[in-house]
Amino acid sequence: MNRFFQSLGIVMLALAPARAGDGMAFFESKVLPLLQSRCYECHSHEKKIKGGLALDLKSGWQTGGDSGPAIVPGDMAKSHLITAVRYADPEMEMPPKGKLSASEIEIFEQWVAMGAPDSRVKQTATKAARVIDIEAGKKFWAFRPVRDEQAPAVKKADWPSAPVDRFILAKLEANGLSPAPDADAYTWLRRVSLDLTGLPPKPEDLARFDASPASRAAAVDRLLQSSAFGERWARHWLDLVGYADQIGTSNNVFAEHAWRYRDYVIDACNSDKPFDRFIREQIAGDLLPATSPQERAANITATGFLVLGDVEIVAVDKLKMEHDLVDQQVSKIGSAFLGLTLGCVRCHDHKFDPIAQTDYYAIAGMFRSTEATYKTDNGVWSSVHKTELPETAKQKAERELLLAANEARIRPWEAERDNLGKEKAALEPQIVSARKEAKPDLEKKRDELAARIKSLNGQIEHAKFFAPVAPKAFAVRDGEKPADMRITIRGNPYALGDLVKRAVLRVASWTEFPPIPEGKSGRLQLADWVADERNPLTARVTVNRIWQKLFGEGLVRSVDYFGARGETPSHPELLDHLASRFVQNGWSQKQLIREVVLSRAYRMSSAHNPTAETKDPDNRLLWRMNRQRLDAEAIRDSMLAISGKLTPSSGGPALPLEFPENVSSISPKAVNPPAFSFKKMRPIQDFERTIYLPVIRTATQPGSAKLRDVFDFTQPAQIAGKRAETAVPTQALFLLNSDTVRARATEVATRLAETEANTSARLEALWLRILSRPITSVEREDAANFLESLPAEKAWIELSHALLASNEFMIRL
Amino acid sequence: MNLNNISRRSWLQLTATGFGALALHELVHGAQSPLAVKSPRFPAKAKRVIFLFMSGGPSQPDLFDPKDYIKRMHGQKITAPVNTNELRVGTDKFLALATHGEVKPRGQSGMMISDLLPHTASIADEICLLRAVHADNNQHQPAALQFHTGVTADVRPSMGSWISYGLGAENQNLPSFISIHPDSDTRLYGSSFLPAAHQGTKVVIPSSDKQSPIDYLADISGDAKAQRARIDFTQRMNKRLLDQTGADARMEGMIESMETAFRMQMTAPELVDLSNESEATKKLYGIGGKDTDKNARACLLARKMSEAGVRFVQVTMGGWDHHGDIRNALPKSCVASDQPCAALIKDLKSRGLLEDTLVVWSGEFGRTPWSQDLSGTSPIEKHGREHQPESFCTWMAGGGIRPGFTFGETDDFGFRPVSGKVHLHDLHATILNQLGLDHEQLTWRHLGRDFRLTDVYGNVVKEILA
Repeated sequence: MNRFFQSLGIVMLALAPARAGDGMAFFESKVLPLLQSRCYECHSHEKKIKGGLALDLKSGWQTGGDSGPAIVPGDMAKSHLITAVRYADPEMEMPPKGKLSASEIEIFEQWVAMGAPDSRVKQTATKAARVIDIEAGKKFWAFRPVRDEQAPAVKKADWPSAPVDRFILAKLEANGLSPAPDADAYTWLRRVSLDLTGLPPKPEDLARFDASPASRAAAVDRLLQSSAFGERWARHWLDLVGYADQIGTSNNVFAEHAWRYRDYVIDACNSDKPFDRFIREQIAGDLLPATSPQERAANITATGFLVLGDVEIVAVDKLKMEHDLVDQQVSKIGSAFLGLTLGCVRCHDHKFDPIAQTDYYAIAGMFRSTEATYKTDNGVWSSVHKTELPETAKQKAERELLLAANEARIRPWEAERDNLGKEKAALEPQIVSARKEAKPDLEKKRDELAARIKSLNGQIEHAKFFAPVAPKAFAVRDGEKPADMRITIRGNPYALGDLVKRAVLRVASWTEFPPIPEGKSGRLQLADWVADERNPLTARVTVNRIWQKLFGEGLVRSVDYFGARGETPSHPELLDHLASRFVQNGWSQKQLIREVVLSRAYRMSSAHNPTAETKDPDNRLLWRMNRQRLDAEAIRDSMLAISGKLTPSSGGPALPLEFPENVSSISPKAVNPPAFSFKKMRPIQDFERTIYLPVIRTATQPGSAKLRDVFDFTQPAQIAGKRAETAVPTQALFLLNSDTVRARATEVATRLAETEANTSARLEALWLRILSRPITSVEREDAANFLESLPAEKAWIELSHALLASNEFMIRL
Repeated sequence: MNLNNISRRSWLQLTATGFGALALHELVHGAQSPLAVKSPRFPAKAKRVIFLFMSGGPSQPDLFDPKDYIKRMHGQKITAPVNTNELRVGTDKFLALATHGEVKPRGQSGMMISDLLPHTASIADEICLLRAVHADNNQHQPAALQFHTGVTADVRPSMGSWISYGLGAENQNLPSFISIHPDSDTRLYGSSFLPAAHQGTKVVIPSSDKQSPIDYLADISGDAKAQRARIDFTQRMNKRLLDQTGADARMEGMIESMETAFRMQMTAPELVDLSNESEATKKLYGIGGKDTDKNARACLLARKMSEAGVRFVQVTMGGWDHHGDIRNALPKSCVASDQPCAALIKDLKSRGLLEDTLVVWSGEFGRTPWSQDLSGTSPIEKHGREHQPESFCTWMAGGGIRPGFTFGETDDFGFRPVSGKVHLHDLHATILNQLGLDHEQLTWRHLGRDFRLTDVYGNVVKEILA
C-alpha cells in the first residue's frame, strides 16, 4: 500500500513544476473543501485549536501544533498531517472519528507532494499566546515574602490575651463587631480536648479543671504531651498524602509496609519534629545524613510520602506509568506544601497562576531521576520500590530469634508434607492395580492426602512470605542516571519537547537555584527550597491548615489552593504573623497550636448572634467560634473512649495479613500480585483508634472502620486538606441502627451499672462521660421519665444510645 | 462544600437525599435546592438514563463484531497492529480465536448479534449498536472509573452525579441517582466535589428477609416503640441545644435527617418490593429463573425507579471477565443478563417510556480477537481473551437515539476502529446532549478550575441521533 502512495507521490512531484496557478486551483477545489469539512471542527480559529494546530491559515500548518510543523512541503514522510490521515501512528490518527476515504487521503498526499500550495492570505487574528510574567506574578499576595507583622492596637484592651487576639479584635472593631463572650469551662475543655486529641475529656479531667489561666495551660500541655495528640494530627497529614494500606486501586494489592510511614507521621507529630525537617525527610530523607540506625530508618520511611498515594502499578505501558507517577509526585509537592495545583502544568502553562510548563518540568526532572517503582514477576504488574531499613544490634538480635522460631515452625510442616507426599506416591500404583471395589476407598484416601498437602503448602508459603526478615519501607532512591527532563507534549511521554534544566518554581524563588551535584536527582535541593523560611508559601500554607483545624475554617478558606482563583486571606497580617512566629519557634507545630488554643479568640462561645450575622454571615471575621462536626475518626474514637473500651496501640501493621485466609496470590510468579481480603480481623481492631485500622482505597472500609465511609472520610485516592462535610440520612441511619453505636451504648450502660449506685449518680456520670458537662434539671426529669417508660434491662442502653446519637455529642461547640 | 454559604433552607434540602423525604419537601417547598428540577439548556430528547453496566468486559468478537479473517486464521499466529510499548501476558503468541457460536443479521437492519443473545437479537430494531467505542485504559479499575467518571485515576463525580447536578431530581421523594448492585469501588457512584445530594444511593435487592436494600435499615433495638422513644429523646436534646445556640443550619439539617432516616426504614423496603408487578411482567424479565433472577429483579427495579422519576439508574451485572475458557464461560454470562436487559427495553417501550428514557448497555472495555492463555499450555479451544479498550461494542436505546442502526467499523482484526470511532468522552457528551445538557457548559469550580465530565474532550456523536 505504501509503495503505491510513494509512486503516486513521485508522479505528483514530477507534475509540481507546472504553473503555480494549477497548484492553487487544486488547493482551492480539492484540498480546501476537505480541510473545511474534515479538519476545521477541531483545528480552526472559529472552532477549536486542538493540539495547538490551526489549519485555517497557511501559517497554521507551517508553525504546526504540539508536534511541530504539520506539513513539510514536498516531504510526505516528514509531514505529520500525512502520517495522521494515513492512520500510520496509533497515537495520532486523524480525523479521530474515522479514517478518510482512500481518495481523500490521496488528495492530501498529492497536495503535500506538489509543495502544499496554499492560497489563503487572509490573516486570521491569532489569539495572543499568554506569556507567563514571573516578575509580575511575584506581586500576588501569596508569592510576596512573609512579613513579621506586629499585632495592631485595639480599643477593648482587656480582651486580648495573646497577639493573635489583637489581630482578630482589631478587624472586628474596624467593622463595628465585638467578640462573643467566653464559652463556659466545660465547653472549652471539650473543645480543646477534641481538637487536640480527637477524644473528649475524661470525668476526672473535668473535675480537675478550674478555668484559671494556669489550669488552661496545664490542660493544653497535658493534651499536647499525650500520644493521642499525634494519633489525631497525623491523620490530618495523611489526608494530604492519599495514604492507604493498598498499592494503587486494582486487585486489592496490599501495601504491607505502609504502616511504617503512618507510624513515622504519628511519631513526628508527637515528638514535635520541626516541620521544616519533617518536609525535608519526606522529599529527600534517603539523601540526608543520619547519626543512628533509627534516624536513618526514619529518614528512609519518610519518603513513603512520595509513593503511598494512588500509584497505578498495573499499567501495561510502563513509560507512561512512570510519567504518571512523576506527575502525581509533582502535584503532591504542590498541594501538600505549597498550596498550588501543579498537575495541569504537565500539559500547558498554568491558566491562572504564574507557573510555566518549564517550571513543572524543572521539578518533574527530579522525580524522573528518582526510582519509585519496579516491574515484578507477576504478569503485567509493577510494585512500589522498597528499601531495607537499618536495625540496631538489639533489634537485629531480637528479630533473628523470631526468624529462627519461624523456621522452626515451618520445618515440621515441611516434614509432614514430604511424608504425606511419599505416602500419596505409594498409593498411586495401588489404585491402578486395585480391584474395582477397593478403588473408591483408596482414591478417597489419596484425595485426603492431597488436600492436606495443599493446605500444608499454603501454610508454609504464607509463613515464608511473611517471615521476619529485615524490615523494609516503601521508599524512593535516586536513579542510576539522574538527568534533566524533556517537556512531554500534552503529557505524552513519546512526544518530547525542549529539555528543561532541573530547578524550582521561579515565581516562589528568591535566588538562583543551586546547581545539582552530578549523579544526584536534585530532591535534596528541592527539599531545601520548600522548607526554607524564605519560601513564601510553605509556612503560610502550613499555619493556615493548623488554624483551620482549630477554628473550622482557614484564614484562607481554600486551604489547598493559594493561587489566583483561590480565596484571599481574611486576616493577611495574622497569617503572616503566625507564619513568622512558626518559623521563629523552630517550625514547632505544638508551640503554634499551644499559642492559638490559649488565645482569647479560641475561647469564644459559638453561640449565634443575629446582629453580627447580618454584618458577617460567614463569620469570616471570627465574631464567634465556628462549630465543627466531629470527623469520622473522632466519632468512633470518642465513643470507644466513653465506653471505656478504647485500647491503646503502639502502631504496627494495619492489615491482618497474619491470617492466611486474608491473603491470596503470594506465589512469586502468579499472574496477579499478592492481594488481601478481609475474611478475618484481629478482634482488638474493633477497639483501637481509627488511625491504626487498615485504609482501603477502592472498597468499603473493613470492619468497624466502615464508619469512615459514612462520615466523610477523604477518599484515599484523593488529597484534601479539608474534608467535605455532608448531612445525609445514611449518617442518621448509622447512628440509629448500626451495631457499632449499639455496642458502645451497651458498654456504657454496663459500666454505669457497675460503677454508680443509684439512678441519680448514673445520670450524672452518663452526661459527664458523653457530653462532658453536668446534667441539667430539665434533662434529669426527661431522662427519668424515659427510663421508666422502657423495660429495665434495656432502658439504660437506650438512653446511652440516645445521647451518642445526639447533636451535642456529634458537634464540638 | 462551604457550609457557611448556604442558607438554612438549602441545608435542609441537602439532607433530602434519601427516600421518603416528603415532609421535608413540604418544609422547603419553593427553595432552590441542589435537587430542584432544573431546565435543560436545550430541548431534551431524554429525561432519564438507565445504564446497564456489564462489568468485566463482554467479548464483542463473540457477540457483535466477528471477523472473517480471524475465523480463517483460527489457532494460527496473526500480526496485529498492537502498540509495542505495552506489555503482554498470555497473549504474546497472538493466536486468532474464532468467534464462538454464530453472529447473524437481525431485525430489519440486519444488525449483527450472536445466537448467545437471543433476547437482545429480538430487540435489534430498537437499539443502536456502536461497534467502535474506544477507551484509554486496559485494566478493570481504571477503565471502569473512566466509564463512570471520565478519568482513569483520581476521584471525580460520576456521570449520574453530573446528570443529577445538571437536571435535579424529577421526584423529590426519591434520590436522583440509584446504583443497583454496584461494584466495590465506591468512586463509581460518588459525587466527589459535587454536593453530596448528587451521590448515588447504593441499593441491594435482598435475597433473603435478613438482608436490607440499604445499609443500617433494620432497627437495632428490635423494638419499634423503644426506638421511637429513643429518637424522641435525642430530638428533644437536639431541640434544647438548638434553642441555646441559636440558628444553626447544620444542626437543623441533622435533626431533619434523623426523621428522614426513620421514615426510610419503612419506605425503603417498599421500594424494592416487586410484588405489585404482574406475573406477565415478572416472566418477561425472567424473575424466578435459575440464572436470570438476580438481574431480572434488578432490571425490573430499574424500570420502576425510572418510571418513578429517578434521573439516573445503574444496574451492574458482572461475570464478563473471560481470560480463560471463554467458550464455556461466555454463554453462562449471556444467559444471566440477556433476557433481563431485553425485557427492560420491551417493558419501557410498552409503557411509552422508551421514548424519553435513554438506555445504555456497555462493559468498561471489550476483548481481543486473539486468544489469551495464562497457563501457556492449554489447547486453543480452552483459551480466553484479554481486555481490549481499543475498540468494543456498546448499545443504546430510546432517548432520541437512532434505532436499528449500526455505527462504526473496526479493522480486519476487530482491533482498531476504522470508522465511526466513539471515545468514552464522546459517549458522555452524547448522553448529556440527549438530556439537553451541553457537556462543555456543565461545569463545577473546584480548586480554581472548572471541571467537566468530559474534561477538555468530547464531541456529540450526531450520526447516531434519531
